[in-house]
Amino acid sequence: MPTVRLRDASEYPEPIQKLFEAAKAWFKYDFAEPPAMSRVMAWDPELGAFHGRAMKRAMTPGEWTRAEKEMVAAVVSGVNACAY
Amino acid sequence: MADDAPWYEAALLVGVTNALNVVADSPLESLEPARPSAEAEAVFAEIRAFYDRADVPTAFRRVAGDPGYLADLWGATRRVFADARLTRRHKEALAFAVSVTTRSSFGTALHLGEMRRLGVGERGVMEVLGVTQMFSSYTKIADTLQLEPDMGDIAAVDHSPAPGGAPPARPTHSPAARSPEAP
Repeated sequence: MPTVRLRDASEYPEPIQKLFEAAKAWFKYDFAEPPAMSRVMAWDPELGAFHGRAMKRAMTPGEWTRAEKEMVAAVVSGVNACAY
Repeated sequence: MADDAPWYEAALLVGVTNALNVVADSPLESLEPARPSAEAEAVFAEIRAFYDRADVPTAFRRVAGDPGYLADLWGATRRVFADARLTRRHKEALAFAVSVTTRSSFGTALHLGEMRRLGVGERGVMEVLGVTQMFSSYTKIADTLQLEPDMGDIAAVDHSPAPGGAPPARPTHSPAARSPEAP
């Protein structure tokens, strides 16, 4: 169980809700509620903006495909024993 | 990457990479035989050819005192790093990410060198490093706040067989047809 109360999407200001919509497009998935990580990063929009852009830049296809990068992300998460 | 085979390959690669790293990064120099046996030298020759280098990576020299063990360790390593469903190039990138994440100086240097040798450019290296760093951040944020997985539905279930295995039985009825009491 999370150690903080995760805010519902409706509790965030309008600009952040637009970012949540962008997340749906990024993941190509219609979330009923934005993922917990998206809502956590939106808690500090300034940090979230930097971090989110860095993540998007890292995950955008380049020399590696998005799928290849997702697998890198998966092994890093596995090695860090992170179930999320 | 919709079926399971690449994920099996990736998981086995992670395991072998970590196995090599833990031995190479430990203070075990004294275990390296001063004069490896003929059997060990034969394995060393295969290793040099595989990596196209004059020396033998530390992880293998450390276990050369038991040539039989060395041969099997090398066989497992060659197997998991060979081209299969995942390319060797991609496997080196995964091993690099694992090594950076586990702070293995041996693995980081070995797999960075291998990525470059196999044609990965500086941009490609930075891409792997960026993904590794970003997910080293997300994982720790998630762990600190004990977030529960909520993105599992993104990946569609795929019933393709794993290598060497029979296809799993497909469900004969939809979950909705199960009784309300079923778990």
